[in-house]
Amino acid sequence: MLKHIKSATLAGAMALVAGAAFAQDYPSKPIEVIVGYSAGGGTDVMARTAAPFIEKYLGDGASLVVKNMPGASGQIGVTEAANADADGYTLGTFNLPGMMARTIDREAAYDRDSFTYLANVVNDPNVIVTTKGGGLDSIDKLVEEAKANPGAVTVGMSSLGGDDHFMLIKLQELTGAEFTIVPFKGSAPARTALMGGHVAMGILNISEVAEFQEELNVLGVATEERSDFAPDLPTFQEQGYDLINGSMRGFIAPAGLPEDVQAKLLDAFAQLETDEEFLAAMKATANPVEVVTGDEFKTLTSDLYDLAKGVWEATPWN
Amino acid sequence: MYSELLHALPEVIGFSNFAAVIIGVIAGIVVGAMPGLSATMAISVLVPFTFGLEPLVALGLMAGIYNGAMYGGAIPAVLLRIPGTPAAVATTFDGYPMAQKGEGGFALQVAVVSSAIGGIASAFALMLLAPPLSKVTLLFGPSEVFWVAVFGLASIIFLLGGNPVKGLISACFGVFVSVIGADPIYGTDRFTFGQLEMLDGISIVILLVGLYALPPVIDLLETPLKTDGVESSKLGTEPIWKAMPRMKGFWKTWLRSSVIGIWIGILPGAGGSMAAFMSYNEARRSSKHPERWGEGEPEGVAASETANNADTASALIPALTLGIPGTAVAAVMLGGLLVHGLQPGPMLFRENPDVVFGFMWQFLFGAILLILLGGSLATNSFARLLNLPRPLLGSVIIVLMLIGVYSIHGRMFDVYLMLGFGAVGWVMDKLKFPLPPVVLGLILGGFAEENLRLALRIGRGDWSVLFQNTTSLILVALTVAVVVGPIVKRRMIDRRKHAES
Repeated sequence: MLKHIKSATLAGAMALVAGAAFAQDYPSKPIEVIVGYSAGGGTDVMARTAAPFIEKYLGDGASLVVKNMPGASGQIGVTEAANADADGYTLGTFNLPGMMARTIDREAAYDRDSFTYLANVVNDPNVIVTTKGGGLDSIDKLVEEAKANPGAVTVGMSSLGGDDHFMLIKLQELTGAEFTIVPFKGSAPARTALMGGHVAMGILNISEVAEFQEELNVLGVATEERSDFAPDLPTFQEQGYDLINGSMRGFIAPAGLPEDVQAKLLDAFAQLETDEEFLAAMKATANPVEVVTGDEFKTLTSDLYDLAKGVWEATPWN
Repeated sequence: MYSELLHALPEVIGFSNFAAVIIGVIAGIVVGAMPGLSATMAISVLVPFTFGLEPLVALGLMAGIYNGAMYGGAIPAVLLRIPGTPAAVATTFDGYPMAQKGEGGFALQVAVVSSAIGGIASAFALMLLAPPLSKVTLLFGPSEVFWVAVFGLASIIFLLGGNPVKGLISACFGVFVSVIGADPIYGTDRFTFGQLEMLDGISIVILLVGLYALPPVIDLLETPLKTDGVESSKLGTEPIWKAMPRMKGFWKTWLRSSVIGIWIGILPGAGGSMAAFMSYNEARRSSKHPERWGEGEPEGVAASETANNADTASALIPALTLGIPGTAVAAVMLGGLLVHGLQPGPMLFRENPDVVFGFMWQFLFGAILLILLGGSLATNSFARLLNLPRPLLGSVIIVLMLIGVYSIHGRMFDVYLMLGFGAVGWVMDKLKFPLPPVVLGLILGGFAEENLRLALRIGRGDWSVLFQNTTSLILVALTVAVVVGPIVKRRMIDRRKHAES
């Protein structure tokens, strides 16, 4: 009996020691980062660019291994990350508003409470562009035309339920104008159609049009302040339209991480914001950076979820 | 417009990019020489592996294999009367009789020179036509692309040949596969059975590997092939530069067959074998002594081999500019481009000029290398390849297929899917259903649906948007001509027969 108690105590003590040791040693083995897209895509580039910096800030020879699990617009990867062991050895990439919209427009094996929110790293703001020679070369003219002939302005964008779509909905709610949505398979074909003049207007992201300013009219950027990416482009707020929207990419872990592991990770991610080398590397890969960590990131996600949910209830897109 | 072409040249003659073409040509000749293994098969097995390579290395391998295989098919066609690839069937007509007369070596030399000439002509056609076309295709909006896709689907009629019903069933199967996955506009699931892996649709590479690579490999293991009798004594050992003067009368055939091959390549649907047959017939028709054809006329070998290489690069003209492949091989190459994140279309020429123009150079160099590699040093040794143990070869290819498909997305689901398509392909093969319509149906069906729906959204539901401009109307007229033409022709022939009897 005594022997049993003794061994139980011993086991308990060992568990305690092990627990403490666990947090102190973290990370004691490679950390896997699940990317829901193919190698070479925007999200993958972000993960691979950030990885060495996170390794640096975690210290102790930490190593991050990027694992691509592409498919279903990132849903396969994010589901895997949401349902992984919450030990800090599996992280995942996270895209907004897509990941939240997928919990609304289809069945998803995760929801907004399934994650520990580490950091949003990229915010690629939306821009509104029009075709050259179409005459709609300012946001005022565009809105006027769309109000005068409801539905006559065709809008090329990538798929429904993404950031482009929510941007258009914000514009419609703000101005009361009405547009006809033409959802292409991704933004590259949408941009090509714009350049060929097959749609009148397009909603894209700033990184996608930065090099196309000669072929397209960029009417404005949906940020609070002018983007470092194209400082000569005015924001919508400057022009009297309160439009802020973009495509966001960041990092999450499964919900319920041990507290000290979470703290260590948050600390590492927070330091990205001020790392000049990291910022330069991101700029070189056409990724506008805006670091938002922890609870703020969680609130951001929740707000986007509420927006998407509201839109879905008013005008479901499928 | 063409300055970018020159700009890409230094890139291509870099060591690894050039080595890729050389290796590709040799591998292509080997694959082409193995009866049952086709260029489509070799490239589809290769595509997943190129993921980790530089784009130009990957594309160089593909261009080399394509050129090499189209010639390699002539080796067993001449020596054994077994076409190494479907495109070499017409080569057997005169090549084998030549070998019987002890002129096998000369027949292969004619084949290699003609193949190279066809390939060079085709590469020039690609270089000249694709860049201006890529500028024009910006003007192709959803309604025009829809009509191009419909025209392509209508062109499948050329592939139907003896059994139209089977061909149409194949095409419908392909179109059905294109429907699987998320709806292109609304994102609703279609035939995915709740599998997230199916949501993006069926990857063309997976379908191609299953359909094109598995059945021939099973075939390879099923039927033992007698290869004795391939001895170098039969080949004649005259060096190629001495044989060249004997070919100087072929220039008309080379010219005519190149044009036929290039044209067939550009047309969606038809491919190498069709080009070879057509050019063989045309060459015979204009020959001064048609009675010698089929008895070992070297010009027959020249006609067939020129044409089946002349469709290689030209098949990429619609593929690179519009994303619509002219042949099944071009379809696999599109898959290869996509694996590297290179989206075909007008933007490809703007964003990755070095890759796309470099690829064109690689086609040219591949064709030129064919003479050096196929002609001088190796004809004799390649002929001995036919003696390789087939079970060994088959099992190696199966292993490569499994690893390759797994490595695309790193998931077993794709491997099972590929095996499933392999089973379907094997059954279709046994029942003599043609396979190319499946691939074209998959690509063109998806294109047609997506662009029709985009066009209708742009037109806000008004169907007249599809007929609003000249380009669309020209495409409609072409489509009608392709469908109605053969029927009218057949009627007229019938009537003439009636009148004669």
